[in-house]
Amino acid sequence: MLDRELKKGSAELIILSIVEPRARHGYEISKLIEQRSAGQMRFHVASLYPLLYRLEERGWLQGRWVEKAGERRRRFYGLTAEGRRVLTRQRETWKAFVNAMGLITGVGSV
Amino acid sequence: MSDHKPPDWTTDLRRRLAPLQLGPAREIEIIEELSQHLDQRYEELRATGVSKFEATRLVGEELLEPEALARFMRPLRQANLPAAIVLGAPRRSWREALGQDLRFAARTLWRQPSFAAAAILTLALGIGVNGAIFALVDAALLRPLAFQNPERLVKVWERTASSARERVAPSNLADWTQRSRAFDAIGGYIPGVGGMVLSGAGATAETVPRQWVTSGIFDALGVRAVAGRTFSSSDDRQGTNVAVLAEAFWRTRFNADPSVVGRVMRFDGVSYTVVGVVPDEAQLLGRTSMWAMVSLDRLPPQARGAYFLHVIGRLKPGMTLDQAAADMAGVTAGLAREFPKTNTGRGAALEPLQNAVIGAELRQTSLLFLGVVGFVLLICCANVANLLLARATVRMRELAIRSALGANRWRVMRQLVTESLLLSLIGGVLGVAAGAVVINAAASAIPPDLLPPGVIVAFDARVIGFCAAAAVVAGLLFGIAPAWQATAHSAAAAMASDSRTTTSARGGLRGLLVVGEVATAVILLFGAGLLLRTLLAVETVDRGYRAESALTMIVDPLQSSYPTPELLLQFYQNVEREVRSVPGVRDVAFATTLPLGDSYAGSSFVQVAGGPVRDPSQRPTADYQIVSPAYFGTLDLPLVAGRAFTDRDTPTTPLVCIVNEAFVAAHLQGRSPIGVRVAIQSTAVPQAPVVVREIVGVARQVKGRPDETQDLVQVYVPIAQSAIDDIYLVVRPVSEEAEMLAPAVRAAIGRVDKEQLVSVRDVVTLDDVARGATARHRFRAVLVTAFAGLALLLAMVGLFGVLAYAVQQRVRDFGVRRVLGATTGDVLRLVVGSAAGVIAAGVVIGLAVSMMLGRLLTTMLFGVQPLDPATFVLVAVVLLLTAAASTIGPAWRAARIDPAVALRSE
Repeated sequence: MLDRELKKGSAELIILSIVEPRARHGYEISKLIEQRSAGQMRFHVASLYPLLYRLEERGWLQGRWVEKAGERRRRFYGLTAEGRRVLTRQRETWKAFVNAMGLITGVGSV
Repeated sequence: MSDHKPPDWTTDLRRRLAPLQLGPAREIEIIEELSQHLDQRYEELRATGVSKFEATRLVGEELLEPEALARFMRPLRQANLPAAIVLGAPRRSWREALGQDLRFAARTLWRQPSFAAAAILTLALGIGVNGAIFALVDAALLRPLAFQNPERLVKVWERTASSARERVAPSNLADWTQRSRAFDAIGGYIPGVGGMVLSGAGATAETVPRQWVTSGIFDALGVRAVAGRTFSSSDDRQGTNVAVLAEAFWRTRFNADPSVVGRVMRFDGVSYTVVGVVPDEAQLLGRTSMWAMVSLDRLPPQARGAYFLHVIGRLKPGMTLDQAAADMAGVTAGLAREFPKTNTGRGAALEPLQNAVIGAELRQTSLLFLGVVGFVLLICCANVANLLLARATVRMRELAIRSALGANRWRVMRQLVTESLLLSLIGGVLGVAAGAVVINAAASAIPPDLLPPGVIVAFDARVIGFCAAAAVVAGLLFGIAPAWQATAHSAAAAMASDSRTTTSARGGLRGLLVVGEVATAVILLFGAGLLLRTLLAVETVDRGYRAESALTMIVDPLQSSYPTPELLLQFYQNVEREVRSVPGVRDVAFATTLPLGDSYAGSSFVQVAGGPVRDPSQRPTADYQIVSPAYFGTLDLPLVAGRAFTDRDTPTTPLVCIVNEAFVAAHLQGRSPIGVRVAIQSTAVPQAPVVVREIVGVARQVKGRPDETQDLVQVYVPIAQSAIDDIYLVVRPVSEEAEMLAPAVRAAIGRVDKEQLVSVRDVVTLDDVARGATARHRFRAVLVTAFAGLALLLAMVGLFGVLAYAVQQRVRDFGVRRVLGATTGDVLRLVVGSAAGVIAAGVVIGLAVSMMLGRLLTTMLFGVQPLDPATFVLVAVVLLLTAAASTIGPAWRAARIDPAVALRSE
């Protein structure tokens, strides 16, 4: 039941969640992670982008260059259908993990 | 604004990504994306009032330590892509690239079938003749003899003050065998192959080639019997009649029946026990079907003065030639002390058997041919290179487009060279086939005496390997220069050019190639000219006799039927009488030597009475010629003094001889020859006594060999006073067709003694004998002339090609000249002038090189000097005539150019 990929998977879960509502570019993703964790969590460029590329290679994200008038083109990452399925599954795994932790340690669920 | 402008991260990012070797496009994308992120972060920090320096440092921390980015990226697929795709020059494994190049080359050639065919046929020709000649060279020079440890085999000769290579006396061989420590085994053989009549069941009989050998010969060669055994030293001691059969004879005549071993067979009416069968490699000694043993035991004392054996020894392992020679020097010195009369001044000389077998003449002939066909191949390469150069001009645009698409020069060259190699490999395959055909055809054309027995010219894997190597070398030779030239121009220049443009460098290279071809053709023509003149000289040489034609055959009466000289003579007289009665026969005689032919009786020691007395080891020799009285009349060989033999010269009358002009010149110092007494001892017969004879006549000189530079010294002896059982019957016809008489002559011999017919062999005319004697000259002359003709043809094709191409390139130029008033003659002069320069340069260079190379031919020439001026002139004339022929076409075309058409053609 406890996914041994959990630890590693937490970062993936965070990114997939961030781009769930709509496609975002890398800088926006890093900013949102920082904001939503109230500064608790930060991804460096050197680790964020390799992660994005990995998710893209797995087919969970799709990167796409988008041009807007008068601006430099930017690469936006959005969830693929497969990414959406993975996100749902990972959320459940994570929830089960946290519940289990709560039961064992007495720490209340988030 | 400029304060907020972030630094450029590109260089730093590229360095961090470099270890990953991403595809260039992907790398640019990533750098762009990360730069944007870093820029935005930098601007954000600056907006909050962070200093430029601090902002740069903080942003830099985003990238962590220098190798972090690469480390995090490493597991990604995009960091493990196969090599990136680059326009124009896909980077692939060499095997894939070669496959692609080959496919492309094949397609290119397929689209130009006439070009491909011309190039391939030229190469097939060049490689084919090279392969065929290499087969000869390989057999003659390169391949070791087919015996165990062939490097230990040596030929051993007796050495005297006057000759380093004399045949060995049987008693000396017997003592060498006992006393020398240098050899594992040593044996001798008599080089001539005779015939023996094998009587079969039911009174059938056949003549079998037979060679005499001593017991040690097969051990020396290292030949093991395939059935039974070879000779042993106990055979030698027992002195019984033993023989071994050659494997081929055993297989064809006796169906490889093993029970032949131990059987007693009757040869020439004498019983021989067949003790074994030896493999055919032993035919190195002579082309024979059986070897009969001559015993070295209990030899008569005279056997020390009869020199007729060839000797082969097998050195002990580790023994060098020098050590063996030193050992033999000791042995021969001991013999000289023991037998001073015969052995004083007689040493021994050793040489590797391979050298002795191959001989200087074959070595030279093979190398001559190899050089000649090498030149032919060079011309072939030059012609194909010319074709490629012409084609490269046509392909300039294609090549330019390919380099514009990103192919570098090396890549384009590789493609062009691949095409050349493909051409030469196809040419090579056809060449191997052509060479095999040539070898098969040539086997019958090679004079039988040129190659020693046991040396077989075969088209095998070694030859095919040579052809493959020749093809690759040729492909590179003719491919690289045109490829280099073709890729020497910038793409833009090439695409801007049109057919009007001729590059002088290209024209220059093509001109040079033709100069080389012409020069090579001149060299070969010159060699051919010298060899043809030699052939002419040996064919028209004065043979000394005037009979236009005569039939000859060997008559070899059985010893069992004619055991005494009297009976032999009776037989010869009966045959002579019976043959003389055949219609169409003008004259009949017997002789042991034919002019230009072999000598059956060998040579003899001669000592003129009253002449200077010489040491026994340095006695002069003369060809010992036994003839019947009618010989001089039959051959129309004039006597310049004295008389011919008559029927009154018999064993009981005073012993007489006739000498030839060379004998008089060499030994009589101006004395009148008639009446002079000469002591004569035959060298080929151990028991031969010294016989004193009186000179009764002097015969005109005849040729022993067509190209001999020293006259053959001869002594003629009447058959009645020196009966011999192997002799030539010479029949001169009334009409000219000697060979027509053969059946009638055989029938006449049969009327005398039907049993003897079986021993009649080698039925040929004197012309055949002469042709045989000149065969090697003819072979060389014909072959080199054929190659020279081929070279000339190829060179002229090359010249024609270059001229035709040049005219085509200059159509517009000629048109303009015509418009401006040039006459047909002017245009003709222009083309012929440019051709004349090329030809003249080629001729001059060719003749100059010929003068240097001519000396190498000296040993093969007769009656002509290496720097023969007539040949020089002849070669120049032949070349100029053929060159003129190949110039006429292009020149005529240039002269007929219609100016209007020429100018419109652009």
